[in-house]
Amino acid sequence: MRILSFVRSPYAGFLLFTAVLAVLPPLLTNDYYLNVLIFIGIHAIIAIGLDLLLGYTGQISLGHAAFFGLGAYITGVLSAKASWPPIAGLVVALVGVGILAYIIGIPTLKLHGHYLAMATLGFGIIVQIFFKELGFLTGGPSGLVGIQDMTIFGYEFDSDLKYYYLVSVSLLLTLLLSINVVQSRVGRALKAIHGSEVASSVLGINVSRYKVGIFVLSALYAALAGWLYSHYMTFVSPSSFGFMFSIKLVTMVVIGSLGSIWGAIFGAALLTSMPEFLHVFANYETTVFGFILVTVMVFMPRGLLRGLEDIVLRVFKSLSDQEAAKGP
Amino acid sequence: MTLSQQILQYLITGVTIGTIYALIGMGFNIIYNSTEIINFAQGEFVMLGGLITVSSMQILHLPLPLAALVSVIGVAIIGTLLNLAAIRPVKDPNPITLIIITIGASIFIRGISSLLWGKEPYPIPAFSGEDPIAFFGAVIQPQSLWVMGIALVIVLGFRQFFGKTITGKAMMASAFQPRAAKLVGIDTRFMVLISFALSGLVGAAAGIVIAPMSMTQYDIGVMMGLKGFCAAIIGGLGHFWGVVVGGIALGVLESLGAGLISSGYKDAIAFGILLLMLFFRPQGILGRTKGDRV
Amino acid sequence: MSNKVLLNTVGLSKDFGGVKALRELDIEVRKGLIQAVIGPNGAGKTTLFNVISGVIEPTGGSVFFQGEEITDLPTHMIADRGLTRTFQNLQLFTDMTVLENVMVGMHRISKGGFFASAFKTPWVLAEERRIREESTECLRFVGMEEHSATVAGSLPFGNQRILELARGLASRPELLMLDEPAAGLNTRETQDLAQLIIRIKDSGVTVLLVEHDMELVMSISDHVTVIDQGHKIAEGDPDSIRNDENVLKAYLGEE
Repeated sequence: MRILSFVRSPYAGFLLFTAVLAVLPPLLTNDYYLNVLIFIGIHAIIAIGLDLLLGYTGQISLGHAAFFGLGAYITGVLSAKASWPPIAGLVVALVGVGILAYIIGIPTLKLHGHYLAMATLGFGIIVQIFFKELGFLTGGPSGLVGIQDMTIFGYEFDSDLKYYYLVSVSLLLTLLLSINVVQSRVGRALKAIHGSEVASSVLGINVSRYKVGIFVLSALYAALAGWLYSHYMTFVSPSSFGFMFSIKLVTMVVIGSLGSIWGAIFGAALLTSMPEFLHVFANYETTVFGFILVTVMVFMPRGLLRGLEDIVLRVFKSLSDQEAAKGP
Repeated sequence: MTLSQQILQYLITGVTIGTIYALIGMGFNIIYNSTEIINFAQGEFVMLGGLITVSSMQILHLPLPLAALVSVIGVAIIGTLLNLAAIRPVKDPNPITLIIITIGASIFIRGISSLLWGKEPYPIPAFSGEDPIAFFGAVIQPQSLWVMGIALVIVLGFRQFFGKTITGKAMMASAFQPRAAKLVGIDTRFMVLISFALSGLVGAAAGIVIAPMSMTQYDIGVMMGLKGFCAAIIGGLGHFWGVVVGGIALGVLESLGAGLISSGYKDAIAFGILLLMLFFRPQGILGRTKGDRV
Repeated sequence: MSNKVLLNTVGLSKDFGGVKALRELDIEVRKGLIQAVIGPNGAGKTTLFNVISGVIEPTGGSVFFQGEEITDLPTHMIADRGLTRTFQNLQLFTDMTVLENVMVGMHRISKGGFFASAFKTPWVLAEERRIREESTECLRFVGMEEHSATVAGSLPFGNQRILELARGLASRPELLMLDEPAAGLNTRETQDLAQLIIRIKDSGVTVLLVEHDMELVMSISDHVTVIDQGHKIAEGDPDSIRNDENVLKAYLGEE
């Protein structure tokens, strides 16, 4: 019985996922795909955090690109201008983004619906403008060069393969943490807040503390992803951290399926690899993206993973109904 | 120019652009008032207004006024198509879904526009020439007067429409009490359709009248839409005069900030004002607090 | 004979713009009893609940719970002190299962913050097991154990009402406030509810209920307070209320 419940638990999925990530590289036909997988991993980390905020707790953020960018720029500036080692850059980025997310989170999460969406959107735009304008620090609109390659305690990540494993480990750690949180008393409280804030508070849940807390956590995930991005690209520019990327992040979570961590990873994988497929139709990328967004949301509003789940369940149900109808 | 003359100049610019923000915000309010939806594609109506006018003049060789009319009607139609294709089929209209759908629609429209018109800016000639008018040491562009004049006509027209005509009142009724409205025979779905058409109309008008001063281009819709939405929130979402106050306040503060502090931070100032409003007075300048009933 | 005063309001007032929902209301709730607040529509009963539980702020007066003033406390801190409530228009966590709803109910009497949960410490695992067991026990008490895995939103209405009650019970409150728990229930369900509320009282929980169903109120209440237009017009045991002139006038109008 214990084995059976384990197999059905998310931890089984986690182990399977780990195994897949471990054996994937030799199966790739082209090293370029490693590059894509690295980006998928980086985006998946942000998407998981955003899903905890949006899918589980029901709070919308249209400005998460800002936290991603802050993570990237903080470590990037420290690395390029002060030659700080990447690990130090990570620590400062996490602390800095954490504090900023906490300060902005307190007033922001008192808002709901469209007001919350606009506040996060406004925050994201303001941060991006600072990236552009604080040229002496950030290199301005043309970006920041000279970010060091990733080295951790002397070990150099000087190949895509090594970076892939670094990103994978980071993804697995955030994934494990998130699964633990979601399955716990904290996770229930978050879902309760999404269900009814007033009922949650009459049961003793400090709604605003949980909302700000999960907002900060999701910002930290994004900052971690920004750190990975910064030392991979060794170059960052403000245009990567704007409104459109924030929308893309929300799309990953929503299309993947809200409230499903696997959905967030799936959505990240889908949306990161999509431009690769549409490469031929580069001009059409925006149009197609917009079209897919609208179509999926209109016809499968619960997201692709849940939508597919529903279809599969319906097929099974109709098959078993047919079996039953055939008689003994 | 002395400092006070400079400030006056910034004020003039601010009121002009603020009027545009107010018009765009009005488009948001019209749809919000009839459906509680925020149409993030509103800015694209502004962009299409300008670009369709340009094409009507270049390809159909229409004179400006006629081209503008074609454009305004065209965008109104596009608005209704947006409602029919992307909003009406939605079965579970929760805020997150609708926000993403309208954002997706705006991305789609922007994509199509980049294919049709490319990414370069297009000019539209000023309605009555470009000789600046002296005004207490500052100058007013004649186009500014067109902006304010046309905005005034639109605002008064809407006041009349929503306040005095049956259709207008029916639209407000559909928003407040959809079930009651249906019971008295109002076709609420049609009211929503009209609201999208009107929203397209006013967005296009805003785009056409500001284009001579700031060029029109496939991606101006993003910022225009956001600033228009800011204007609506600052004034009080859904409030008729609120968006006028909010838009002008936003335009003036933005212009003063850009002129006196720094132009690079112009948008940061605008959104900073938005954040302050949301944190300290989310119901806006003229809005009233709503209580939640449990 | 007098049970201890558990909750009392002093001069409680609430204005909504022009409407005075509560006017200088003084009520007392005594420990260990089932007490009801009744009154014609618009009398201010739900507003009273909302003010006491901290959902809205009063415009004047104070609320005391177990001797401590709770007037200005935020809702979750009031709940923390052992006061919880249900809602007239159900506030279930519709996407969570029945069991999960009750487990959330146990939030205030359980431990497990972010770090312990994220790193799955052994004591947090033990705590999870305890929460699960006691929640199941709670469902057994109200007779809904068989529905544990059902999604709350798909339950029939009567069961949803019971679930919200169970969820409140799970927090082991001193005072459980029920806002129209019988609304929408049929006769049989209302009778079952009455029995359940009596069993709740017997388990040591004080119950304060707002109700329109007179039979339910009269059959199980130890004490009834009648309010009309925001102030108290009568109180006492059910029999004396039944025959009170002021009460009849309030409900039936002046002759």
